[in-house]
Amino acid sequence: MDFWDKIRHLDRRVIFILMVLGVGIPLVTRIGLPIRITPDVRRVYDFIEGLNPGEIILVSYDHDTGTLPEMIPMSDAILRHAFSKDLKIVGMALRAEGSGIGRQNIRRIAGEFGKEEGIDFVFLGYRPELTATILGLGSSIGRVFPKDDRGFLIEKLPLMQKVLNYGDIDLVISISDDDTPVYWINYANARFQAKIVPAVTAVMATTFFPFLNSHQAIGMVAGLKGAAEYEKLIGISGSAGRGMDAQSIAHLVVIGFIAVGNLAYFLGRKK
Amino acid sequence: MRRSFPIIVCFAFGIVMLAQFFIPSGFSSNVRSEITDWAQIIYASALIVGIVGLMKYHAIRISRRSDGWFYNLITILSLVFMAFIGFAFGRMDGSPFMWLFNYMMAPMQASVFSLLAFFVASAAYRGFQARNAEAVLLLASTVFIMFGIASVGNSIRPFSDIAVWILNNPSMAARRGIFIGVGLGTIAVSLRVILGVERTYLGKE
Repeated sequence: MDFWDKIRHLDRRVIFILMVLGVGIPLVTRIGLPIRITPDVRRVYDFIEGLNPGEIILVSYDHDTGTLPEMIPMSDAILRHAFSKDLKIVGMALRAEGSGIGRQNIRRIAGEFGKEEGIDFVFLGYRPELTATILGLGSSIGRVFPKDDRGFLIEKLPLMQKVLNYGDIDLVISISDDDTPVYWINYANARFQAKIVPAVTAVMATTFFPFLNSHQAIGMVAGLKGAAEYEKLIGISGSAGRGMDAQSIAHLVVIGFIAVGNLAYFLGRKK
Repeated sequence: MRRSFPIIVCFAFGIVMLAQFFIPSGFSSNVRSEITDWAQIIYASALIVGIVGLMKYHAIRISRRSDGWFYNLITILSLVFMAFIGFAFGRMDGSPFMWLFNYMMAPMQASVFSLLAFFVASAAYRGFQARNAEAVLLLASTVFIMFGIASVGNSIRPFSDIAVWILNNPSMAARRGIFIGVGLGTIAVSLRVILGVERTYLGKE
C-alpha cells in the first residue's frame, strides 16, 4: 500500500480527532471570526425594530431537543430584541418537546428584563395536529388554548384580553428544525395574512428561499449563523458568535477533508 | 357499511372544508373551528393508540428475547417512568420531570444529533469524490456554499456572492419545482381520497 492508498484509507478515528479539535478549540478560545449581516436576517431585525411598544409577537417553538444548540441562540437573540423594545410575547409549541423548551426559554429571557407573566408575556403550551392548530388560531386563540401553560384561563390574563386571533398579532415566528414554517405560511399567511418569519436550522434554510422571494415570509433567521448575525445586530456577544467560530472551522475541516480525499483519489488512481 | 361509512364521512368533511375556504362568513368560520377542534381531539386520541402500539411492539420483543431486547425494556421503562413523574409531580419549572428533560433527554438528543458532524466529515472524506461531471457539480456547489457561508469565506466577496447565487438561483428553482410538484400531487391525492377513489387508508378488505 503506497502513501496515497494509505491516505485514502485513513483511519476514521483520525478524521474524528481532527473534527473534535476543529470544533473544540474555537469553543475554548474565542477566535472572533467576522460575521456579515445577510439581508434575510436584516429584514427580520428591521421589522421587529419598527414595531411599537405593546405590539405582539407570537413565537412558536416547533422543534425537538436534538437541535437545541442551534435553536436557543436564535430564540434568545430575538426575544432579547423584542423585550428590549417592550413588545409582548405570546409563546406556544407545535411539538411536545417545544413546550418545555419554549416555556423555560421565554421565562429566562423575560426575567432578564423584569417582565411579568400574563402581562408582558404568556406561554400557551402545546397543541397537537399543527394544521388544525394554525387554522384554529385564525378564529380564536382562546378556543385552541383555553388555558395557558400554568393552567390559568387565558381570558383572565391581561395580555390575552387584547389578543383574539391573528388580527391582533403583528408577527409570527416559527422556531423550527423541520418544515413547520411552511404550514404557518400556507395557513396563517395565505389564509389570514399573518406575517411570518421562519427561524430554522441551517439545513432547512433552502426550503424557505422561494417563500422569501415571493414575500410570503418577512425574512429568515437560519441556523447558528443567523443567530450570530442577529446577536451582532442587537449588539450582544452571545453563544451564537462563539458557536459560529466552531461551525466555521468545522466547515473548513470538512472542506479540507474533501480536498485531501479527492487528491488521494486522483493520485492513487494514476498509479 | 364498514367501508362505505368512512368514505361518506371523508367525502362530507372533505367537501365542507374545501367549500368553507371559499366562503368568508361567520357560519363558515364556525364550521371550520368546530371541525379543527375535532381534528385535534382525534389526533390526541391517536397519540394514545400510538403509545399502546409502541408498548405492544416493545413488549413482544422483550417476551421473545429478540436481539437487543434490553433496549426495548429501557424504552418501555423510560416511557412509563417519565409519564409517572410527570403525572405525580407535575411538569412545571423545577419539577423532577423538567430535571430529567433538561439534564437527560435534551443532552442525549443533542449528543446524538451532534454525531452527524463526525459522520459528515468521514463521509465527505471517503465518498465525496469527483468521479463524474454530476459529482463535480455537486462537489463544487458544496464547497462554495460551505466556504461562502462559513465566517471566513463569508467575508471574501467572490465566495459569498457565488454561494448566494447558487442558493438563490439553481437551488431555489429546484425547490420551487419540488413545491409545485408536491402541491399538485397533494391536490390529486386529496381529490382521490375525498371522492372515494383512493381507499388504502381504510386498510385491507
